[in-house]
Amino acid sequence: MEDNRPSVLSVEHLSKQYKKGVYASQDVTFDVKEGEIFALIGPNGAGKTTTIRMIATLLKPTEGDALVGGCSIKTDPAGVRENLTYLPDEAGAYKNMKGRQYLRFMAEMYAKDRSQVEGFVKEAEKICSLGDRLNDKIETYSRGMTRKLLLARTIMSKPKIAILDEPTSGLDIINALEIRRMIKVLASDGMSFLLSSHNMLEIEYVSDRVGIIARGHLLEVGRPAELLEKYKADNLEDVFELVVMKKDITGW
Amino acid sequence: MKFASLLKKELREMLNTQTIFMLLLMLFMMYGMGGMLNKSAEKASEESSRITICDLDDTKFTQSVLMFLEHPTSDMQNEVKTVTLKSDDYAAELDRLDVNSFVIIPEGFTDDINNGKQAKVTYVSRMTSMSMLSNVNVGSETALQLITSAVKTAMYSDFKNRGKLTDDEAALIEAPVTVDECTIVRDKSENISQLILYSSLYSRSLFMPLVVYILILLGSQTMINAVSAEKLDKTLETLLSAPITRLHVISAKMLAAAAVALLNAVVYMIGMNNMNLSPTGDIGEEYTKMIEKLGLVFDFRTYLLIGVQMLLTMLISLSIAMILGAFAKNIKSSQTLLLPLMFVTIVPFMACMFLDISTLPGAVRYVLYAIPFTHTFMASDTVMFGKTELYTAGLIYQAVFLIICMTIAVKIFTSDYIFTAGEFIGRRKKKKHAEEDQ
Ligand SMILES: Nc1ncnc2c1ncn2[C@@H]1O[C@H](COP(=O)(O)OP(=O)(O)OP(=O)(O)O)[C@@H](O)[C@H]1O
Ligand SMILES: [Mg+2]
Repeated sequence: MEDNRPSVLSVEHLSKQYKKGVYASQDVTFDVKEGEIFALIGPNGAGKTTTIRMIATLLKPTEGDALVGGCSIKTDPAGVRENLTYLPDEAGAYKNMKGRQYLRFMAEMYAKDRSQVEGFVKEAEKICSLGDRLNDKIETYSRGMTRKLLLARTIMSKPKIAILDEPTSGLDIINALEIRRMIKVLASDGMSFLLSSHNMLEIEYVSDRVGIIARGHLLEVGRPAELLEKYKADNLEDVFELVVMKKDITGW
Repeated sequence: MKFASLLKKELREMLNTQTIFMLLLMLFMMYGMGGMLNKSAEKASEESSRITICDLDDTKFTQSVLMFLEHPTSDMQNEVKTVTLKSDDYAAELDRLDVNSFVIIPEGFTDDINNGKQAKVTYVSRMTSMSMLSNVNVGSETALQLITSAVKTAMYSDFKNRGKLTDDEAALIEAPVTVDECTIVRDKSENISQLILYSSLYSRSLFMPLVVYILILLGSQTMINAVSAEKLDKTLETLLSAPITRLHVISAKMLAAAAVALLNAVVYMIGMNNMNLSPTGDIGEEYTKMIEKLGLVFDFRTYLLIGVQMLLTMLISLSIAMILGAFAKNIKSSQTLLLPLMFVTIVPFMACMFLDISTLPGAVRYVLYAIPFTHTFMASDTVMFGKTELYTAGLIYQAVFLIICMTIAVKIFTSDYIFTAGEFIGRRKKKKHAEEDQ
């Protein structure tokens, strides 16, 4: 099936070396279309966070480039930051702030004017469904509540693309489900998502396309259904195993 | 058994390589400090046995006093230099003779002794620092004692020749000499003892460096906590991926930490002022006037010059703390990272309390000068005692140091470093464990 929606993110041969000779991510190429949910899946240490941090302009790529809404992470990082929001994995928030204060503070970072700030905060309040707890200090929040607050912050400003590193890690089934549903709704409105996870089963349900990454290499990209068919597997976990095994045999 | 294991674990946590290293460093620095103190105490006592004297009376009696001054006993020797004064401008004479003090035996000294009256000498000294050792050991007490015993010896041998001692003479010989003291600050002189000046001002001289020290301590503490918390909570990643300039992120942090530190400083200043450490509290009006005339007061200019120094020092310590914070792996390590900074702060702080750094031997002096904070601890000395060149040089050095620190801080915050610095060790360990697990 040909997808001719425009690309919001296109990653081209992106590589990162922390130390000489050791690639945390190597020659990664993929793209994310408008309104698409793309997931990078791979085990711990595969290079998901490294790739994402490069796209979010936090790390400079050793080689390659990425365009976010047409802006290059190398030549126009400021432009890139206008087009995306980023939720780091295991992120916290300012513990001394109240939930609503945090939302307002972050809204001010992204908004162009006052009225937009109000709009963002309203939106976030709706998304996070924390109700009155927004008046409490963040240090009193449970892990799931913090996560929801941060997620609301990430999508309240309706960026071209929201990058979520392990969005559901540490959440119970109900909350994870809620967040996945939310992502799907927003994507249908035209917002794009780049997710990462090592929970391949959950990713199967939420993402339009997945990229399988291991030891820094993007080994396979495709729709979950396509991949299941191609590898004659029952679920993505099996696909992953097969992909990595095949590469191990043929060498990379 | 279980308790022993627990104890072992606690010790391992608390006594890691970092703390042991800091302990050794501390020991090393203490030795250095002790050496410095000994050296300058030695130097000071050497100086107090070196007496420059001007004999205006010039009689046989005073000549024998000088002789006894030089050789109090057959096996003791003081270094006595006799000079002649060219004017009454003592400040200029001290400069010309290149000494910090001299004693004047006035005309009529011998007559007074012969008439059974207490004779007077004048002790002129230059005050160059507010530090303890530079004021305690130069005291006129030493000079007075030496001269008194010389006068006594001269009188004894005089009387011995005459073969008798009247009651009056016997009374006089108990305390034959009194001293008039004159202290010079820069080019001004007042008839007040340097020791009295020091004792009425030392609380102030302690208080300034203390405020500076607290400022550095609290400022850098606040900063390193703020930076490492942002880093560890990953709120920094969020901020740096938002459409704001990173310079704003950095400068907001600097400004806030500076404000917090300043607030603290103000509170401390108010508190300490209330403790009535001001010289007017316990000494007479007359003395207060003299202190003012000598220029040893905190007027607007003094506050301004010291204030500029303080500001620079604070910004330097904040940017260093910011850099250190980037290396934090966890909250505990951020505190440990701060220790070296505290150390290079406490050394000049202590040194300034006890010593006049500008008179220390070369190598030690330059090591201290290399610590930018030293110049601020010295600021009340350099400003009030007119060591203008030293003040200016210190200021320039601090400014350069600040620019370098800020550049490094900005570099770290605008590059990968902020996310990769300090992670190496932790990561490598984690990786190794992961490999072992496989
Ligand atoms: N700051 C760093 N310095 C050195 N090596 C690093 C650094 N950060 C990551 N690495 C290495 O790069 C590789 C990829 O790490 P990355 O964090 O991108 O993995 P990940 O896919 O996000 O894993 P996880 O699922 O555990 O989050 C790992 O081998 C890791 O050890
Ligand atoms: Mg990761």
